[in-house]
Amino acid sequence: MTAIPARARDANPWRSTPVRVLKVLFLIGLLIFIPPLIDNPYITRIFISAVMLGVMAAIFDLMIGYAGLINFGYAGFLAVGAYTSALGTFHFQVSPWAGLLTGGLATALIGLATGVISLRLRGLYVALLTFFVGESIRFALSNSPEFTRGMLGLSVRPLPELLGFDFSRGNILAYYYLLLLLGGAIMLLLTWLVRSRFGLAFEAIREDQLATQSLGLNTTKYKLYNFTIASFLAGVMGAFYASYLGILSPSPEEFGVYRTVEILTITYVGGRGTLWGSIFAAFLLIGLQEYFRGLGPWRLVIYGSLLIFVMLFARRGLAGFKKYLW
Amino acid sequence: MDFSLLLDPYILTEVLVQGFVRGAMYALMAAGLSLIFGIMGVKNFGHGELFMLGAYAMFFVTVVLGWPWPVGIAVAAVALFIFGMLLERTLIDTLRRKAGRDWVLDAFILTIGILVVLQNLALILFGTSRRGVTSLIDGVLVWGPVIVSYERLMILGVASLVGLSLWAFIRFSSLGKAIRAASQNPEAAQTLGIDIRLIYTVTFGIGAALAGLAGGLLISIYPAHPTVGFEPVIKSLACVILGGLGNVPGAILAALLLGVIEAYSAFFMSAGWQNVITAGLVVLILIVRPSGLFSSSKVERA
Repeated sequence: MTAIPARARDANPWRSTPVRVLKVLFLIGLLIFIPPLIDNPYITRIFISAVMLGVMAAIFDLMIGYAGLINFGYAGFLAVGAYTSALGTFHFQVSPWAGLLTGGLATALIGLATGVISLRLRGLYVALLTFFVGESIRFALSNSPEFTRGMLGLSVRPLPELLGFDFSRGNILAYYYLLLLLGGAIMLLLTWLVRSRFGLAFEAIREDQLATQSLGLNTTKYKLYNFTIASFLAGVMGAFYASYLGILSPSPEEFGVYRTVEILTITYVGGRGTLWGSIFAAFLLIGLQEYFRGLGPWRLVIYGSLLIFVMLFARRGLAGFKKYLW
Repeated sequence: MDFSLLLDPYILTEVLVQGFVRGAMYALMAAGLSLIFGIMGVKNFGHGELFMLGAYAMFFVTVVLGWPWPVGIAVAAVALFIFGMLLERTLIDTLRRKAGRDWVLDAFILTIGILVVLQNLALILFGTSRRGVTSLIDGVLVWGPVIVSYERLMILGVASLVGLSLWAFIRFSSLGKAIRAASQNPEAAQTLGIDIRLIYTVTFGIGAALAGLAGGLLISIYPAHPTVGFEPVIKSLACVILGGLGNVPGAILAALLLGVIEAYSAFFMSAGWQNVITAGLVVLILIVRPSGLFSSSKVERA
């Protein structure tokens, strides 16, 4: 078989730079204009879920896809962000806007602490330790009802008006655009990060930790950076989630292993180490879930089967199909 | 808190028996989990769903068919042995050959997929209602101030018997020796003519059989329902870590210890904090002694 010269592939007009820019703009346009044009709160909520979980999955991807770290207590980290912001508002009258930041900072702190104790370990040990850290957080939240209201549910005030934009709960389009801004910023930050010197270090660690160390790179330090940055961003997303949803409870579905599995599936279906694949996978999976809503538990069977299928037969996830679609 | 209550023989035996019964369940689950981890390096997150299937098998045989309980336990164990081998050969083995070097982390993700599928299939097939029996054996043993139900004695007896047989099998049978060889050095075992694929399949089958047996044995305490496996898998995972990953006797010892600790703390505290204590203990062990409480071997460190 003769190899196709690289130049011949580049000549494909579908892949030339201007067309790529147009394609990206087109997708961004879809994100911006579809919800207001359809003007159906149900559709807007689906878009919010998809973008939100997609960004959460991309942050997860920064850890697993770029540094080989499984944070299997991820949902607990989201809970720290959500609860820090919500409790700050509830008990100390902190503005929910500041809550986005305090949520991120608190989670970054937890991430740093977890990182310090776990990142000397590898692979499965990191998954095990983070899992029990996440569960401890969730149990602690559900066992302190006098402060967090536990399983009774903590109601969260909506974001106050900002720059003339109304963020009352009825106006979910405002939340959607805020999410697009926030998520877009996070995605750009992640993309910049993985293309920087840090990204190279992360990938080197994922591929061969020992070799990376022998090159004189402090692998623990880079893993700590990775974990702390990812935790900060997860906390910000958790705080947004709290303000958008309006009620929090530390149930396994919301902040426990089920949520982690949901996000992890999106990351793997999107393709590890692709960041943007997570966004596409989120739309695919959330879309499927909504489409099959009438099927009840069958949609989770489809979900699990998809994860198994991806692990066995499409190991690069959606990214493996990129060459046919992009 | 009134600690003097513990000196009361009724309460003391109650707490101890409760602890050992819990511990026996954790031990059966943890032994299988630890065996699979020790031999294959795989953490089977779907282990609780195998427990659940065992419970349903037990319910089917003893209640629907009306056969005696020893048959039910045997059916649960054998059915899960076969199911476990099928699962390994069709899914995990395929993954191992595709994923290459770092396949164990991928296998962990794969078992999560298995968990989601099995749990929801159970929900579809059997619904959310709890299916159990009030007791397999009636009556209580009265011995001085000590009162223990025969049912619990039976659970402890069967669990000990299974534990001993497992130990004897691994120690003395030729297949058991092959399994130990494969866990010590897969390549060397292979050159000696040991079929590693077969060892992996059988090991997973044994682990699944232990989970199924636990599910069947404890049906009067944990009636079968789709999410019944969640608590056992978390707790047995904790035991596996406390005992040292892959260290089967360590896991069993940790299981009994955890069972008793939990029974004591349940006596003094609300049930919720029990989980915090377990999770906190595990995190502490992973930080201070990642190789487990009873091990002298070293953990792969960065």
